Amino acid sequence: MNRKILNIVVNGESHQVLIEPHWTLLQVLRNEIGMMGTKENCLEAECGVCTVLLDGKAINSCILLAAQVEGCSVTTIEGIGDPEHLHPLQEAFIECGAVQCGYCIPGMILTAKSFLDENPGCRPSRDEIREAIAGTLCRCTGYRKIIDAVATAADRIALSGAKQ
Amino acid sequence: MSAHTHRVAGHRLPRRDGVGKVTGKHVYAADFKLPGMLYGRVLRSTRAHALIKKIDTSRAAAMAGVRGIITSADIPQIRYGTAVRDTTVFATDRALFTGHAIAAVAATSLEIAERALAAIEVEYEDLPPLFDPEEALKSDIRIHPDWETYKALPIISRNRNIAGQARIRVGDAEAAFAKAHKVYEHRFSTALQHPGYTEPRVATADWDANGIVTVWCNTQLPFDTQTTLAEILDLPAARVRVTVPGIGGGFGGKLRIGVEHFAALLARKTARPVKVMSTSEEELTAALPRQASIVLLKTAVDKEGHLLARSGRIIVDCGAYAGSGPGTAAIALQVMAGPYKTGALAFESIAVYTNKVHSGSFRAPAGPMANFAMECQIDMIAKDLGLDPLEMRLRNVVKEGDPGPSGEIHRSVSIEECLRKAADAIGWHDRNPEPGRGKGIACSWWMTTGGSSGVYVKINPDGSATLVSGAVEIGTGAITGAAQVLAEELSLDLTDINVTGVDTQAAPFDFGAQGSRTTFSVGNACLAAASELRRQMFELAAKQLEAPIEDMKLQDKHVVAGNKSISIAELARISRLAGGGLIAHGTAISPAPAYDPTRVQNHPLPVWNTPSYHAHAVDLSVDQATGKVTINRYVVAQDVGYAINPTYIEGQIEGGVAQGIGQALSEEIVYQDGCVMNANLTDYKMPTAMDVPEIESIIVECRSAAGPYGAKGVGEPPCIEPPAAIGNAIAAATGCWPNSLPMTAEKIAAAMQVQHS
Amino acid sequence: MSFDLHRPATVTEAIDLAQRFAPTARYVAGGTDTVIQINRKKIDPAHLIDVACLPGLSEITETTDAFTLGALTKYRSVETHPAFRGDLRVLVEAASVVGGHQVRNIATIGGNIVNASPAADFVPPLLALDASLDITGPQGRRSVALRDFIVGPGRTNLSPAEIVTSIRFAKLPARSATAFLKEGRRRAMEISIVCVAACLTLEASTSRCASVRLAIGAASPTAFRPEQAEGYLIGKPAGKESFAEAGRLAAEACSPISDVRASAGYRRGLVAVMVERALTTCLQRIREQDQ
Repeated sequence: MNRKILNIVVNGESHQVLIEPHWTLLQVLRNEIGMMGTKENCLEAECGVCTVLLDGKAINSCILLAAQVEGCSVTTIEGIGDPEHLHPLQEAFIECGAVQCGYCIPGMILTAKSFLDENPGCRPSRDEIREAIAGTLCRCTGYRKIIDAVATAADRIALSGAKQ
Repeated sequence: MSAHTHRVAGHRLPRRDGVGKVTGKHVYAADFKLPGMLYGRVLRSTRAHALIKKIDTSRAAAMAGVRGIITSADIPQIRYGTAVRDTTVFATDRALFTGHAIAAVAATSLEIAERALAAIEVEYEDLPPLFDPEEALKSDIRIHPDWETYKALPIISRNRNIAGQARIRVGDAEAAFAKAHKVYEHRFSTALQHPGYTEPRVATADWDANGIVTVWCNTQLPFDTQTTLAEILDLPAARVRVTVPGIGGGFGGKLRIGVEHFAALLARKTARPVKVMSTSEEELTAALPRQASIVLLKTAVDKEGHLLARSGRIIVDCGAYAGSGPGTAAIALQVMAGPYKTGALAFESIAVYTNKVHSGSFRAPAGPMANFAMECQIDMIAKDLGLDPLEMRLRNVVKEGDPGPSGEIHRSVSIEECLRKAADAIGWHDRNPEPGRGKGIACSWWMTTGGSSGVYVKINPDGSATLVSGAVEIGTGAITGAAQVLAEELSLDLTDINVTGVDTQAAPFDFGAQGSRTTFSVGNACLAAASELRRQMFELAAKQLEAPIEDMKLQDKHVVAGNKSISIAELARISRLAGGGLIAHGTAISPAPAYDPTRVQNHPLPVWNTPSYHAHAVDLSVDQATGKVTINRYVVAQDVGYAINPTYIEGQIEGGVAQGIGQALSEEIVYQDGCVMNANLTDYKMPTAMDVPEIESIIVECRSAAGPYGAKGVGEPPCIEPPAAIGNAIAAATGCWPNSLPMTAEKIAAAMQVQHS
Repeated sequence: MSFDLHRPATVTEAIDLAQRFAPTARYVAGGTDTVIQINRKKIDPAHLIDVACLPGLSEITETTDAFTLGALTKYRSVETHPAFRGDLRVLVEAASVVGGHQVRNIATIGGNIVNASPAADFVPPLLALDASLDITGPQGRRSVALRDFIVGPGRTNLSPAEIVTSIRFAKLPARSATAFLKEGRRRAMEISIVCVAACLTLEASTSRCASVRLAIGAASPTAFRPEQAEGYLIGKPAGKESFAEAGRLAAEACSPISDVRASAGYRRGLVAVMVERALTTCLQRIREQDQ
């Protein structure tokens, strides 16, 4: 086996992981680092449940070779908030009833975060939100309440940014 | 207790499992692992219909890291199934569809397991296949040559390739057709649709020192899975423990055993924990999709558009095993009758075997297929008679006290209200606002599935309550709804209710998260348990407060009697010291209503419990050159009886309509010569956020007698009407009905071309 | 599925590696296509050479008369680039319908071109802009017109170990506009049933077509320019009638297949409609500029 060491920062913590060249970032996050909030489904970048942030940008971890992210910083759902300190997106998803089975939700929240972070303080239209999350499938909600949640969170983030 | 004074029920409270789900802490079955766990994979047939001459696993077995291989020869020869016991774990002497399980491998890694599959040699001898369900009715080829030896529910009528055949007959349909003003006949077809849950079916199994197997999986029906597993493993049910850590959607696709048996059998073979998870390809070739169907429908009307008689036949393509096909097909008969008064009915359902994937019970089984035919035909008739489709419906809908198709009595009927509200909201008065744009409407009724529920509730010394139920929270918010009922009855807050995970060893029985029944039935069981807890608390409080029980009530987490009160927490502590704690068992069953059995033959669900009524209206545009549909607005008016949590009811409506839009416009598992041509999510087209409009929900509350606070079943109905409503709107926009699901842009363009030429 | 992954620091190193491990080596950039193809067992390289981090290949640069896109430019960078909001909108329109944001954040336009999929969404716009590719290989550098680069489905004229480093196209003359249209069963996450890019330039003071470049994807073994349709329009008044005829000619020129996504007949019909519409959109955009 031609295992190599991967240096990767996940949610602010440095990790050294022995990986095989064909392992995807998803496999490394779930099987080696234990970030189970990153979900697994289609493995072909069609459903979006595996979405994480790579240097701040949403990507499908299921088709990214882990060896390609040497030295990069990855943020998973566990890295943006916890039950005591929810991220505004996490808070809004609960409040707006945007969560049903929840399996797509980590990916959905990170997809939205990446989009909102592109233009700090932005208040995107519902159509812009719709477009931004189109790469993450949700079979439960019909998306309306997810769009509500992203819009609500964007408003709050913009407001708190303006205050600072 | 009067509903408008509720403090917890009826309110838009956040779900109990929300924080875990948004933080990634909620553990799903797919996330579950055990030390030393092996990975299982299933070898699947590459032939649609073939004798299996030889399976050689020797090369695979010799591979490093392979810990066990099983085929049909290694396991008890059991046939299982819901209506017909025709199903085996693996193909036995013959493969019945492409994707049929042939063997399973457990290995130390998924990759090794996959390589081992490739090393198993299977020798086939092709048999003539049957892919067309209508051909299967006529053919001499038998998909199950030994069908007569299979056990089945006594009610099921079978014959050769027919896995089930049911009838509803009311009045004299032939006579009505003979003297009708006009008679219409149409044919409709619908496609295989995958439930599309985002978490694939997955199970991890482990056998303990006492010979008990525990299976951590994402089934919607842990008790049914337990029973079936016990049969397959040839064990008493008590030695099978099924537990559901968390489940990423189900929609009926996770009702029946999926991969649990592979995991359990491989774990037994290897004496190691084994995890088996379906791949996307397996999901689309070997899961339990919604059946494809053909509906032939004939309707007689008078000059005013009154329905005099309807006759017809639905052919449901079960695939290689009956699955829920016989029941699904039979339920279609009630859907085809619709919420309408019709002088006479003569409906027949046929569930037929073909050499394709065995299918299941996707949300409102048969609902969308039968409703698509039934409701599109209403519009076709209205158009021919020059009637407003809404008006035609209003002339025919059932009213309070009218008989239903099985001779039962319609109670708490709201269909007219639903139709009027949906029509008003969509702006029905202006149905063709511009060329290429049209509005459509469709309505239906649907049952609240029966079956019993049990719960245990205990009061903790901090005054909170723990709810133990055997019903799985599959995402709908149903258990949060039941917890709201419990909190309401115990004067607690929703956050005071702790809900445990489901474990067949510890939880009381529940008929399962299916059939729009969870909140309804578990809620009723909570009412019963709360009533028993009140009795226990009042008795205890009577001693503490020295007050008569008749004066007592629960208020703000206290037992109050006049100016005396004691907290529930205090009572729980006292009971712990002397009485073993406050604990109650609540049960619920909703009995089937009285009906006329002479109307219904060989029907496993002859009469519907606590039906709900609903209407959908849609405003859409059709690109006149490409046939592409753009949904401008979509409105649902649904009678939920009583809205226990309006937020999650809207969630059910919005999500159900999205699935219906998928079925109407884009989703189908495409077969060609027995092979699935689109076994991936690139080409199996579930709606994205760009494809679903903002669904507008109008919640109608027409209380039922049987549900908690008057609630009715909610979850399944929203996906019933979309194909019909959208089909009718396409017709309003273009003048033609595609008559076949999905109504792709290509089909619509073709229909428009035929019309123009 | 067993390979080594190499991470060269420079283009030269990458080429050396590719030569060393030829013919079992393959370049990988964003990996959004390569990894799926490996998992589906369509390809089985023994050596993947990761070019994603090669310096200097991700920039979008503007000179007085041209744009250069580094081959590693991400779709999302194209989509959000302020320079492409005007007459080069075809680039934004095509980039923004490739996969979801997650794919567009990492997938590279160079990768899309080199894949040479008949349905690649970013190829028609670049064909319509008459783009050229800069290629570096063991024999040095060369340039090739994109239209000469893709020679068949999945096939290009790249020699072994050659690497596309950038894509260049000239700025458009005055009174020009572009447009991109795509049809699929859904409104996102689609592989095109047909996609069409158009680039139209009108004569300085008339409404006659001075220059027309059309490119059609997913309707032939490779994305292609329907030359007859283009030629027909030169000197013709821009408008419904001439655009419809161009659409008809383009539909005649394509050779679509029937597959699970659509039939050949439907694809052909779409080509006619979409070419006409793309040209109409261009015309509208030029008129908006005129005002």
